[in-house]
Amino acid sequence: MKIDMKKFAAWFDDRLALTPIFKYMTKKEVPQHEHSFWYYTGSSILLFLFIQIVTGIMLALYYKPTLEGATDSIGRIMTELPLGWLVRSVHSWSSTFMIALVMIHLLAIWFTKSYRKPREATWMTGMMLLVVSMVFGFTGYLLPWDDLSLSATKVGTNIPMAIPVVGKWVTQFLRGGDDVTGDTLTRFFLFHVCILPLVIFAILVVHILLVQKEGMSVPLKDEIAKKKVPALPFWPNFILREVVIWLVLLGILLTISLMFAPSLELTADLMAPAPEGVKPEWYFLFLFQTLKIFPANMGPVTGEFVAVVLILIAVVAIFFLPFIDNKPEGKKGKIIAYLGVAGVIYAIVFSIWSLL
Amino acid sequence: MRIDNAYFTRRKFLNSILGGWLGAVAASFISPIVKFVWPPYKEPDEVKLVFADYSAMQPGEVKNFVWGSKPGLIKRAQDGSFIAWVGVCTHLDCNVTWLPAKKQFFCACHDGWYDENGTNVSGPPPKPLRRLEPSVEGEDLFIRKPGVGAKT
Repeated sequence: MKIDMKKFAAWFDDRLALTPIFKYMTKKEVPQHEHSFWYYTGSSILLFLFIQIVTGIMLALYYKPTLEGATDSIGRIMTELPLGWLVRSVHSWSSTFMIALVMIHLLAIWFTKSYRKPREATWMTGMMLLVVSMVFGFTGYLLPWDDLSLSATKVGTNIPMAIPVVGKWVTQFLRGGDDVTGDTLTRFFLFHVCILPLVIFAILVVHILLVQKEGMSVPLKDEIAKKKVPALPFWPNFILREVVIWLVLLGILLTISLMFAPSLELTADLMAPAPEGVKPEWYFLFLFQTLKIFPANMGPVTGEFVAVVLILIAVVAIFFLPFIDNKPEGKKGKIIAYLGVAGVIYAIVFSIWSLL
Repeated sequence: MRIDNAYFTRRKFLNSILGGWLGAVAASFISPIVKFVWPPYKEPDEVKLVFADYSAMQPGEVKNFVWGSKPGLIKRAQDGSFIAWVGVCTHLDCNVTWLPAKKQFFCACHDGWYDENGTNVSGPPPKPLRRLEPSVEGEDLFIRKPGVGAKT
């Protein structure tokens, strides 16, 4: 029997009505200007998210989220399963690449001020994606269940305690009790492989739809001058350029994963003293150092409380940045751009300081 | 429809009743879920140790014990009595360790130090280590939360 592909496609289109989407994609254009390069950071994040999903599912086939079995099961993945060590290494490095790119993506939009009207909601969903990505990293860090990850998780989950009233509930929710125990491990695994993926997809769909709805932003000065910016067809020109970048990034990722595979320490002992050199993942280092420099008590409250409140204020301010920076071409807009530079310098200096 | 001198219409009144009722039904489903998510685990009121394991301790010596899911620390004082603490840092909950050479408790997470009485002396810890009350009762060494008396 010969299947008439055209009829087949028409049948599907009758039911799903996808033609407008394909038409839109072929008509879509991407502006070309001196800041166009940053457009590629978005799709590169998706590449690493895809790698995370594939390698994450592979790891979950053999990982056991229990007090007794976690470390051993990772040991088994790394020593017994074909290329298991590489799968774990790619998962670990790809998370680093993904978060680094999310941060670069955010900074590029900060400095080009692409969050300005009408793209406020795109920025806000983007900030939510950054937070979710960091929670992904935080929950994943515990899963090897060695002394370092245990202590880092104890510190991380204790931080909400600094907030009066609700803080204790948040900590108990995260830990599944008053202390980090085997229940915490099970819980973090569940967050990492079930709840957070649902959350990130829900936000990501909105984020990507908003990007399609508003189209790519053009530089502020061109928008003000009402200049016609040259454009590149999304399909196939822009996609093919993206593919080139993806292949380069994939090459770098595999090279680094091959050369610097993560180690596996001894399984965590809940009663053992904290090991020297407890450090969170690199993207938390500047926050870690911030907590460290605050004194024990500041007047009636603890230094930790002050630090946590300041960090929360900063996160909320960045979330609402498009509304704070409502005149991007004016003096305030310039100050906010410089604040971004100051923030980057602060994060880099504090991260390095925490390693000294 | 509105009855004379009424503050709201009949529709609004009925919608409010219906809405309130739906809210109550939702709450009755959500509350057991919330209770399930926050586990009922409580810190122990007391732990019972074998005194023989600790009776040979020299004055100034510190040993560990298990306090629920946290480590506990017990020290023999100069007069032969015992002092006990919960062995976690009051800053951010890392397990502390006793450094006999320095006669101090040390938390490696953020460089916190406590003297041999558990008082915070340096680094970020805002409070002294939490004290527990040890009591030798025959063959047993009980460690209790302050304010929790011996069970009779």
